[in-house]
Order: sequence, then structure tokens, then C-alpha cells
Amino acid sequence: MSILVIAEHNNSSIKAATLNTVTAAAKIGGEIHLLVAGSGCAVVADSATKIAGVSRVLLADAAHYADQSPENIAALVVAHAPAYSHVLAAATTIGKNLMPRIAALLDVAQISEIVAVESPDTFVRPIYAGNVLATVQSSDPVKAITVRTTAFEAAGDGGSATLETLAASADQGQSKLISSELTQSARPELSAAKTIVSGGRGMGSGENYHKLLEPLADKLGAALGASRAAVDAGFVPNDFQVGQTGKIVAPQLYIAIGISGAIQHLAGMKDSRYIVAINKDAESPIFQVADYGLVGDLFELVPALTAALD
Amino acid sequence: MSEYRAPIRDMQFVLKELAGLDEVVQLPGCEEASADVVDAVLEEAAKFAEGVLSPLNMGGDQEGALFKDGQVTMPRGFKEAYRQFAESGWTALGCEPEWGGQGLPKLLAAPVSEMWKSANHAFSLCPLLTSGAIEALVLSGTDTLKQTFLEKMVSGEWTGTMNITEPGAGSDLAAIRTRAEPQADNTYKVFGQKIFITYGEHDLAENIIHLVLARTPTAPEGIKGISLFIVPKFMVNDDGSPGARNDAWCVSIEHKLGIHASPTAVMAFGDKGGATGYLVGEENRGIEYMFIMMNAARFGVGMEGVAVCERAYQRARDYARDRVQGTDIGVRGGAKVPIIAHPDVRRMLMSMRAQAEASRALAYVVAGAHDKALHHPDTELRKQNQAFADLMIPVVKGWSTEIGIKVASTGIQVHGGMGYMEETGASQHLRDARISTIYEGTTGIQANDLIGRKMARDGGATLRSVIGMMRALDADLARQGNEHLSAIRTRFQAAVDELARAGEWLVANYAKDVRAASAGAVPFLTLFGIVAGGWQMTRAALVAQAKIDGGDSDPFYPAKVITARFFADHLLSQAEGLASTVIEGATGVMVLAEEQF
Amino acid sequence: MKILVPVKRVVDYNVKVRVKADGTGVDIANVKMSMNPFDEIAIEEAVRLKEAGIATEVVAVSAGLANCQETLRTAMALGADRSILIETDAELQPLAVAKLLKAVCVKEQPQVVLCGKQAIDDDANQTGQMLAALMNWPQATFASKVMVAGGKATVTREIDGGLETIEIGLPAVVTTDLRLNEPRYATLPNIMKAKKKPLETLTPAALGVDVAPRLKALKMAEPPKRAGGVLVKDVAELIAKLKNEAKVI
Ligand SMILES: Cc1cc2nc3c(=O)[nH]c(=O)nc-3n(C[C@H](O)[C@H](O)[C@H](O)COP(=O)(O)OP(=O)(O)OC[C@H]3O[C@@H](n4cnc5c(N)ncnc54)[C@H](O)[C@@H]3O)c2cc1C
Repeated sequence: MSILVIAEHNNSSIKAATLNTVTAAAKIGGEIHLLVAGSGCAVVADSATKIAGVSRVLLADAAHYADQSPENIAALVVAHAPAYSHVLAAATTIGKNLMPRIAALLDVAQISEIVAVESPDTFVRPIYAGNVLATVQSSDPVKAITVRTTAFEAAGDGGSATLETLAASADQGQSKLISSELTQSARPELSAAKTIVSGGRGMGSGENYHKLLEPLADKLGAALGASRAAVDAGFVPNDFQVGQTGKIVAPQLYIAIGISGAIQHLAGMKDSRYIVAINKDAESPIFQVADYGLVGDLFELVPALTAALD
Repeated sequence: MSEYRAPIRDMQFVLKELAGLDEVVQLPGCEEASADVVDAVLEEAAKFAEGVLSPLNMGGDQEGALFKDGQVTMPRGFKEAYRQFAESGWTALGCEPEWGGQGLPKLLAAPVSEMWKSANHAFSLCPLLTSGAIEALVLSGTDTLKQTFLEKMVSGEWTGTMNITEPGAGSDLAAIRTRAEPQADNTYKVFGQKIFITYGEHDLAENIIHLVLARTPTAPEGIKGISLFIVPKFMVNDDGSPGARNDAWCVSIEHKLGIHASPTAVMAFGDKGGATGYLVGEENRGIEYMFIMMNAARFGVGMEGVAVCERAYQRARDYARDRVQGTDIGVRGGAKVPIIAHPDVRRMLMSMRAQAEASRALAYVVAGAHDKALHHPDTELRKQNQAFADLMIPVVKGWSTEIGIKVASTGIQVHGGMGYMEETGASQHLRDARISTIYEGTTGIQANDLIGRKMARDGGATLRSVIGMMRALDADLARQGNEHLSAIRTRFQAAVDELARAGEWLVANYAKDVRAASAGAVPFLTLFGIVAGGWQMTRAALVAQAKIDGGDSDPFYPAKVITARFFADHLLSQAEGLASTVIEGATGVMVLAEEQF
Repeated sequence: MKILVPVKRVVDYNVKVRVKADGTGVDIANVKMSMNPFDEIAIEEAVRLKEAGIATEVVAVSAGLANCQETLRTAMALGADRSILIETDAELQPLAVAKLLKAVCVKEQPQVVLCGKQAIDDDANQTGQMLAALMNWPQATFASKVMVAGGKATVTREIDGGLETIEIGLPAVVTTDLRLNEPRYATLPNIMKAKKKPLETLTPAALGVDVAPRLKALKMAEPPKRAGGVLVKDVAELIAKLKNEAKVI
């Protein structure tokens, strides 16, 4: 039994989510192969050989893999997948986009966003915005799986995998990347951060959001997040959103500011180790999950908190 | 914070099991309202009420309508919400298809309007008044008037008002003094002041069509000398667009206890030479026309009572689930519990819920009867249903609005101190609900109408037929071995007997001693409301029990039976006291001389 | 150009579901059901494309119990021209739904299939991508902006790091994210008209699709509840707790 993990990378470095996925693969048990498909990404494959637990790194380097379109990557994976018992990717927007395409081409079911491995064919996954945990068993010959990264530790280094090259599959020519607008930030990435400062509709405006939360996040070395309401109101871009349909996070410390705590938001952060809530409405559901709640005007409390953190 | 959720399940139950939706949709002209359409309409109306109107309720209260230089600015969000409301076609729901309406039955309009009222009482008054004005025009307007005004009012592009009240004429319409002078071109010039005019001025629509009661120079004194006029804010051009400003002005708006977002205008007609008005129907028959639409308007205000019971109940229930205080009674040192665990809090919540459900059931049943009165092919049945609706409308208006206030007040009590704070929203319901027992005829006026025009005039015949329907349930109740239904049966039978006792006394004594009868009019209205509400809850319990016995596992049904049981033990049990007050209470009311007060 | 919009009937957004006592499933008897919110966004986008003169027909399709008809009526009240119900009381998993949709695509030949990115009940986020694979069509998931012209779709996608815009040839599958649009409220006249719009009923057997589930649910459970914490009185107390008790700063 061997497992294929699809690495997530930007052609120059590997994304942290891949390391959590490798840990999930290790829980299943068996030899782990890591696929690095991209263009000019040999350096990624090289560094991937050091990930603990990976025995082989498979490099597929071709110009038409540059954007890692699901059409092209699925075609590549499907050609090799039958040799594996499991194919895994992180449940990031890339993995979610890709894996169902692979599963359908293999005529197998996909098991989405697993949070635990019970046995090689049985997994636990959240449904209904995390209000229910379903334990599901697959009888398909290949198990196509996406992994909720917050539920698994990152694999360490110290590995020494062999590096092999795969022949590229034909270019499907179905999709073309026109442009991307990636948020530039010196702060840690939301899904990997140890501390997150998150703002909701209570911030009132994008200006307030930045003015109040950035200094606090800087002091704490935290990533910035937001509720759907704050994103919908245009305070911050979509990739700040934490929740059922945004990012799922589980930092050591999550500070929810001016967030009421709709279940869809809670679904994205309730596995955080410590939750702090600052809100003027004592009835807000966020206080039901917060370890420490502070009721009051955030426009006074947040600057005070920032100032006190020296 | 509690968010409004339309009680669609209970609405559907009442429509289908109690108010005869199946029958109503068979009526000629009502066929459009098939079961799936009804469900879809309820769903979509609920989305609108929950998603658009309810979120504006508290802000509307805090901001209020603003008056400046003759103009009224509505609170933030109202204009956009009204535009969406009209564009979605909700203003046209019950209107005649001839004028762009959907022609849906009153039975479907009732739950939909309940949602608007629960979500935002102040907002809901605008379409309520408009539909009253539409109805008056449809019933009595000339073709030209209909053509000029109806389509735009039905589409919601223009809104309507009712200009009845004057400083010297409130409950007593005979005292109306506004003048209307005929002109050579068949129009009239209207002069006078009207007060308390709901939505008399606002910025939601491009034109406002005022219906105004006034006297012509040759009119006889009193109620038989009043005519009904249309006075538009802007005259209407030949192409249908609004033209010159008419001489009808808002001079100020009132500062009120509640419904802050509903502008209550003081209107001046004819300060600058006379407001152009068009006669509706014939001269001197204005009150007659008003009475035809009064049923609809009074029913509409009665629905405000139902709506606030529901809204206040939901808010109190949500709070009671969250608020932790004290331990379970009888448990020393036990864990702290949400207050919903305390028997007295449960009692309050049950009384709110039971009255919401009972008043809803009664109101929808009356709406269904109204449809049958309008559309049933059988003349005799039309007459019977009309008599039933006429008798019950003052009860729906008077009783539902009075319990609306009590239920809103209980809602505050459930919240404790937080209920007295504006931020929970509980106190707004009480302030808003307080108007409903006053406008469209105070409770006192409803009760007089009930015992005089609706009971004494036909010698109690309609009352007796209703009591007969109530008693007819006994055969079904007797067949039930169930503990709850037997308890309900005992209470209900006794309460119906009390209603009959007090009703017969009133009918017998109305002519002999109308002052004594009047002294008991409101207690009788309360008694009637309770017994009629209990009647519907008893019917509901029978249906629910039959479903349970048939193996239906929907938890809605056992909850219905228990709610009916609560109503029987906590409300129907009051019938005896009320009947005695009706019959024996006049002495205490009437004896003191006025100076002794 | 024809647009096909698959819609799913799910437990309403506002309902907090409960697991059945025996852990065999989720109790959805007598619970309020609605159209999956992402599908509502898909319908809205399709109707806007029609209003803009780009699409000529919007067809809604749903698979499941007979009462999915209500969801289809809602879709038609929002502007879909007609609908197709694939009626079955079998449990449907995403792969099976994708196969059913494939059969409908073969029959209807739409240029665009607009789906919700995920259903809020099983949170699977698979069907659109699977359908694209089975049809060998390109896919654009998590769309926050869609432009269709000259046989191509230009789609802005919400991705983890921000946004990206891709161009795909038609026919294609596009799945909707939250910010693509704000769905309208159905108007009363359209609710009434929806009743008269055509609704065709098919079955998996008639479409020749085997819908047998591939995954077996062994157990459903509620996640351990997070115990509510304490209210602190001020910033100083909060910092003290975070430093000394939680030791996270
Ligand atoms: C917010 C608001 C909005 C309104 N909107 C409108 C509107 O849009 N159009 C409009 O025309 N009017 C409107 N009104 C006026 C409303 O209909 C009257 O206020 C109401 O009919 C009572 O009249 P009144 O205020 O003159 O009280 P009164 O008639 O002076 O009554 C005072 C008290 O005496 C009692 N009473 C009076 N007569 C009798 C009787 N014969 N038997 C027993 N008891 C009696 C009443 O029950 C009441 O308790 C509105 C009022 C308010 C407060």
C-alpha cells in the first residue's frame, strides 16, 4: 500500500499545508510518495526530499504545469493513481479544486476535509458547518482525500527521499491563467499562524479595521482574519475570511473583535486553543465559545490592549 | 440578539387545518392560491420579512421619521426597503387583477401581513393604509378615478392614507368639520385640518393619495352628512405622471410613544386656496363606504396584535434560553440554569405562546370566512360567512390588540431588568403595540360595535350560531380518552356556557339599559376573545391529537396539544369571572357621580 | 446560450441540526429546508446573464426526493425558465449527482453549468468539479466574478492567497463563491408564474445512472462542546489571564 500526496507549492517553495497532509498520510500508514508538479520547480522537489516520512518525490516539470490547472494536474495524477491506495491533497482552495476532478476520473468517491484517520479506509470528517462529525468508510480501490490541515501536525524534516522524474501528460489546453492578485503581507499566513486577530462587522469600516487591528497584530506577531460580515462589507479582501466557507483555522490564540459569532464563523475557528472575544453586546454567541470575554466598546478596548502589550 | 423567524409551520397548520384553505382555494376567483403557491408565498414573504424588514426595526425606532420644512425623511434603509417591497409585488397581493393585483385570497394575505407586522410594525402601516385606500376606490370610485389612481397604488408607486380624525372628531366621526366645496368642473375644494394621519407625508413614494372625509355645504348634520374624497398630494397629469403640487400639506409630525418610524402627520388642507379633491361615490355616503373597508382595516390592526404576540414571544424565548440565573427550584447548590428552567418563566412563555397561537388561529379563521363571504357561489353561505366575519371582527381587533400589549409586557418581564433597557428590543414591542388598541376604533368602540350593531341588532342570532358551532365540538371531544383533551373539554364547555350566559344577558338588556350593557362591553369582548381563541385552540388540539393517533411523529403536534391545554387551564378558566363582571359589574361602574371622580 | 443550474434542497442555513440519538444520522425530519445558499447565488448569476442578453435559457435541475420540486419552484420564481427533477429516494453522494448531471448535460447541451461551490449540509465541495471531469470540460471554481463572451468565460476566483482570474473555453462548469452576487428576493408575480413553468421529472434509471453510494457512514456524532469561559473585567485582567493562565503571550 502506498500513498500519493500532491504537494502544494508556487514553483519555488513548498506550502506548509503539504506538511500537514503528509502527517495525515503517515497516520494512514504505508509508503508516502510526494508529487511535485509545476514548471521550473526542481528546487521544490529537492527540498521536499527532506520531509520526514516521504520515501519518494516525483517531479513532473513542464511548461503547461506552471499554473497547476486542475485540468492538467488531474490528467497527470490519474495516469499514476491506480498504483496507489490513497491520493491526498490539502483541503486548500487548490486541493479542493483539484481532488474531485481526480476522483471523478478514477470513478471513486472523494472524502473531503478529513480531520482524523480511523483506519486505512475509515475517516472522520465534519459536516453541517462542523456541527456534526461523520465517520465514513470507503470501499473504493483508490481513496481520494482532502485533509483539513489544522487537524494534523506539520511533518518535520530529516527525511531523505529519492527523487524521480515523471513524464508530463499532454497539455489539456482548457484553461489559462490571466492574472492573480495575491495579498502581500509581512504577517504570517492565516492558516498557519499561531495567533490570529480577527475583526467583524463591529469594526464599522475598513479604515477602522486597519487602524485598530494592525498595530495589535504587529505586537502579537499575529495574522489578520475577518468574519464574513466584515468581508461582505468590504473592510478586507476575501482571503481574510474565517468560517465554514472561508478558511478553517486553529491557532493557539484567536482574538475575535467585533464579531458576533454566527455558527458559520464559529465553524472556522472553534478548534483554536484559546479564544478571546471583545464585543459590546454581552449576548453575542461568540462569548459562548470564548475562553476570555471582554464586554465593551472595541474602539476603546483594542487600543488599550495594544498599548498594554509592551 | 433575537432574530425574527416567521412561524411558517404554525401558519400552515392554521391555514390548512383550521381556516379551511382547501375550501377557500376552490372558490371562484381564488384558484390561484393552490397549496404549493401558498407555501412558496409564505417562504418568500418570510425571507423578505426576516431579511429586509426586521433588521430595520430597531434602527427605525431609534432614528424615527424626521420632519423638516414640510418634508418627512424616513429612517435609514426604509426607502430602499419600500422600493424592494413594492418591486417584489407585495403591495399587490390581495388587490384585483384588473388593476395589476394578484387577487390572492384574504386567507393568504393574513399570514403574509402578519410577517410584515412582526418584522416591522412601523413599516407595515404604509402598505396597510394604502390597501385600505385601494379598497375604498375599488368599491366606490368612478372609472376615471380608478384609472387615474389604482394601478400606481396597487404597484406601490404611490401610497395611500386615511384622513378621518380631526382635533374635535376622533371616536365620534359625526363631529367631522372639514369642508368640501363643489366646483364647476365637478371637482371639490377641500378645507380643514386632519390630525394623526399615518404616513400622511414621507419620502418613500412619488405621490401620496389621501382619502379624506369631509362635509359638503348642503350636507345634513351628523354621520349622514359626510362624504369621501380623494385628494392627491400631487395632481396627476394626463399621461399619469405627478404634476402640480396640491394644496394638501403636512404641517408637523407627532412625537410618540412608539412606532417612531411611522410618520403621524398633522395635515392642513386648503391653506392656499383649497385642495383639489374628487368625490368618491355619492355625496353624504362617505361613512357607509368607510364601513365597508373598516372591516379590512380593523382586521389589519387586529393582526398587529397577533404579530406582536409572536414577535415578543420569540424574543423572550431566545433570551430565556441564554440567560443563566439561579439553580433549578428545589435543587440546593445545583448548577446554574438558564431561566427557561424556572416554572414562572415557563408560565410566562407559555402564556405568550398560547395567546399568539390562539389569536392567530382566530384571525385566520375570520379571514377565511371573509373570503367565503365574498366568493362563495351559494348565497346563503355567503350571508352566513359575512355575518360571522362581521361579528368576529371587533373581537379580532379588540382582543388581539389588547393581548398584544399584555404579551409584549410579559416579554419584558421575562427579560427582567434587561427588558426595561431599550437595547434588548423587548420594550420597543410594548411601545409599538400600545397604539393598536387605539387607532381604527379604540377597544371601547370595538366593544360597543360588538354588543350593539353585531349582537343586539340581530337579537343575538349570529352569536347563537357561533356558540352552536363551539358546542358542536363536544361530540368529537367526548370521543377522546386522552387526558389533555378531557381537561380541555371540561374547561371549554364551561367557558362556552359563560359566553352564552353573558351574551344572552347583554342581548336581553341592551335595549332596556344600554348604559349598563355598555359598562360590560369591554369585559364581554375579552370574554368573547378568550372563548373564541380557546375554541380554535380546542379545534387545533383535536386535529393534532388525530395526527398523533395516526402515527405522525412531528413534535409540532404534541406541543400543540399542550399549548391548547395551557390555554384551557390558564385562560379559558377566566371565563366565569368575566361573565360575572359583564352581568353584575355595571353598578360599580355607573353609580358615582361625575364630580366624585 | 443555455445555462444549467443544479440546485440542492438542504437543511436551512439557520437550523442547527442534531444528531440522532443512535448516531446513525442527522435528524432532519420536520426541519425547515431551503435551497442551498450557493445554488441561489448560481441561479442569480444565471438569471443576470440572461437579463444581460448573454444567456437565452436558464434550466434548473435537482436530484432527490419529490419535494425537491419546491426548490425547483423557488429557482423558477427567481427566474429559471424551466426545470428538471431527477426523482429518487436513494441517498445521493456527489459522484452520483455528477453522473446524473452528466446525463442531463448530454441531453440538454448547455454551454455553462453554474453550480454552488459546496452544499451546506455535507460541505463536500465536489460536484461541480466532478461534473467537469466527467464531461471533460474546463472548470472555474469559487467564482467571484464571471464574464461570458465569444465562447469563453473569464472568471475571477477566490483563492487562499487572494484572487486569480482565468479564462476557459465553453462549455464549462463554474462554481459560485459567496461574493459573486447578492441573490434577489423572488417577486410575487414570479412566484405565481413559477407554478406554470414546465417541470420535467426523470429518474436515475431512465438516465441510465447507477447512483449506489460509495461511502458508508458508520457513525455521526456531535463534536465535543467548547465550554464557555469567563468574562474578564478589563484589559489588564485579560492580559494577566493570557500570560499566566493560558501562557499564549
Ligand atoms: C399613532 C396614531 C395614528 C393614527 N392614524 C390615523 C390615521 O391614519 N387616520 C385617521 O384618520 N386617524 C388616525 N388616528 C386617529 C385614531 O383613529 C384616533 O385617535 C382614535 O380613533 C381615537 O380617537 P381620539 O384620539 O379622538 O380619542 P377619543 O375619541 O377622544 O377617545 C378617548 C377615550 O374615550 C373613549 N370613547 C370615546 N367615545 C366613546 C364612546 N362612544 N363609547 C365608549 N368610549 C368612548 C375611547 O375609547 C378612549 O378611551 C391615529 C392615531 C394615532 C395615535
